[in-house]
Amino acid sequence: MTARIIMKLHVESARMTTHDVVHLRLVHPLRPELPEWTAGAHVDLRMPDGKIRQYSLCGDPNDRSGYEIAVKREPAGRGGSRWVHDNLSVGAVAHVSAPRNNFSLVSGSKHTVLVAGGIGITPFISMARVLAMQGTEFILHYCAKTPTDAPLLHEVRKICESRLRCWFSKRGSRFDPAVISIDRPDTHVYVCGPERLVEAVRHGLPKLPDARFHGEMFTATLDENFNAEPFEVTIASTGQQLLVPADRSLLEVLRESGFSISSSCELGVCGSCECGYRDGIVIHRDKLLPVSKRQDRLLPCVSRARVSVTLNL
Amino acid sequence: MVEAFDHPAGSIAAAKVGGAIGWQGTLLHIHIAPSASYEMEELAEAECVAGRGIVGDRYFNGSGTYSPKPDVREVTLIEQEALDALARNDPPLQEGPITLAPGDHRRNLTVIGVPLNHLVGRRFRVGEVILRGGRLNFPCRYLEELLGKSVFLPLYNRSGLNCGIERGGIIRPGDTIEMLGS
Repeated sequence: MTARIIMKLHVESARMTTHDVVHLRLVHPLRPELPEWTAGAHVDLRMPDGKIRQYSLCGDPNDRSGYEIAVKREPAGRGGSRWVHDNLSVGAVAHVSAPRNNFSLVSGSKHTVLVAGGIGITPFISMARVLAMQGTEFILHYCAKTPTDAPLLHEVRKICESRLRCWFSKRGSRFDPAVISIDRPDTHVYVCGPERLVEAVRHGLPKLPDARFHGEMFTATLDENFNAEPFEVTIASTGQQLLVPADRSLLEVLRESGFSISSSCELGVCGSCECGYRDGIVIHRDKLLPVSKRQDRLLPCVSRARVSVTLNL
Repeated sequence: MVEAFDHPAGSIAAAKVGGAIGWQGTLLHIHIAPSASYEMEELAEAECVAGRGIVGDRYFNGSGTYSPKPDVREVTLIEQEALDALARNDPPLQEGPITLAPGDHRRNLTVIGVPLNHLVGRRFRVGEVILRGGRLNFPCRYLEELLGKSVFLPLYNRSGLNCGIERGGIIRPGDTIEMLGS
C-alpha cells in the first residue's frame, strides 16, 4: 500500500442531513485543487489523539475543489464520529489524507446494482454520479428506517432519478435481496452498510460469483473468541528474529524494532500496513486481502502466525 | 541525529581538499512538515537549532518517516536548478516534464546558485546560520508514493544535501548562502 500525503483542510460547510448524520465539505486553504480520486474512494481523518477513521468521499470526483464526507454519530462507537460531530464545525481544521480506493467500480461492466444501508450510501453517491454520467445501466437500492433517516436522500434522488428504489423498513417496505436480478452475466453487485446487510445480500445471491460481489463495511469483525498465541518473526533481509507476545500485534512489535510501516485503521480493513511473507502459517484476521493474495501477503495490524513466520522486510 | 562530519560521507569529504568556491547563492523557500506524511508548510522565517533541526519540522520533533534511523537530517536542501531541470525534462529519461513545487519535494530549503553536490564535508552559511554538509540526499520510493509521480530516477544525484546545524539562528527567504572556511 502506498503512502499518502496528509493535508490540513478547512471545514467550509457542515450541515446535518439527518438528525445524526453531518455532511461536511472540506477545502484546502491554499491549493485550489485537491488530489484526484475515483468513485468509491475514502480518506483517512486523523483525530488529535492519534485515532484514524476512514470516510468515503460522497462528492463529485470531477470537482476537485473540495472533498465531501458524511459522518454518522455513533454514540456506542469507538469515539471517532463523536469527535467529528463535536469538533468539525465551519472553519475548523481537519487532518485528512489523500484518497485511496478499496471499493472501486469494475470498469467496463454494463449493469450495476448498488445496495446501501443508511450511512452506507456515501460511496454510492459518487458511483451513481459516474454511472449516470457514463450512461451505464444501474439501480440503487437505498435502505433506511424512514426517509428522514436516509442521509443525503435529496441528492441521491437528483442523481439517480428513476434508478432509485427506496426501502423504508418503518414504512413496511423491507429490502429483500431476491429483488436483485443477476441473470445477466455482466451484473456486478455492490453493497455498503451494516454487516448484516452485506451478509444478507451475499447469502441471498448464492449464484453470484465472488468476483461480481463487492461488499464494504468499515467495521472489522474480529472473532471475540480468538485466542492469540505468541509467535516468532524472522526478517528475511537481515535474519533478525523478534518475538510477538500474545498481547501485542505484529505491527506494534515491528515498529518498536525500528521498522517504519504505515498504518491507518489497525483493524484489518484498510490495507495500509500490508506486507509480504514466506515460510510460515499465517492466521489471517483481516477483512481485506482476497484469498489469492493471502498466500504471500498479510496485514500485520491484526494477522498473526502459528509458531513462526518470515517477513519479506 | 548523526553529527554531519561524523557521517561516513561527510568525514571522508571533509578530509579532502575541494568544494566549489567563488559562488554565492540565495535561500528561496523554507518548508517544514509537522509530522511524517503531512503536507509541507511554507514559512516566512524559521528558527534553526544547532544539533537538532528546524523548529516545528518532523525531524526536529522526532516524528519523521526516517526518525527511527539515526542519520544527518537536521535540515535538507535542494537546488532550484534541479527542479528546473525536471520541469524541462532534462535529461529526457523520464516520461515527460515533472513539475515539483517547492512544497512538494519535501526538502526544507529550496536554494538557487548553491552547488550542493560540492558541499559534502564543507561548512557554509545561510544568513546567520552555519550548516555542515553531511551527505548527499537521495530520492526515496516513499516520496514517489506520496506524490504519485515517478521522481526516483529524475532526482537521482540531484536530490539535494542533508546537513547538520553548527550554529543556530533565524533564516528567511532571501538570505545569502556562501561558503565558509573549514
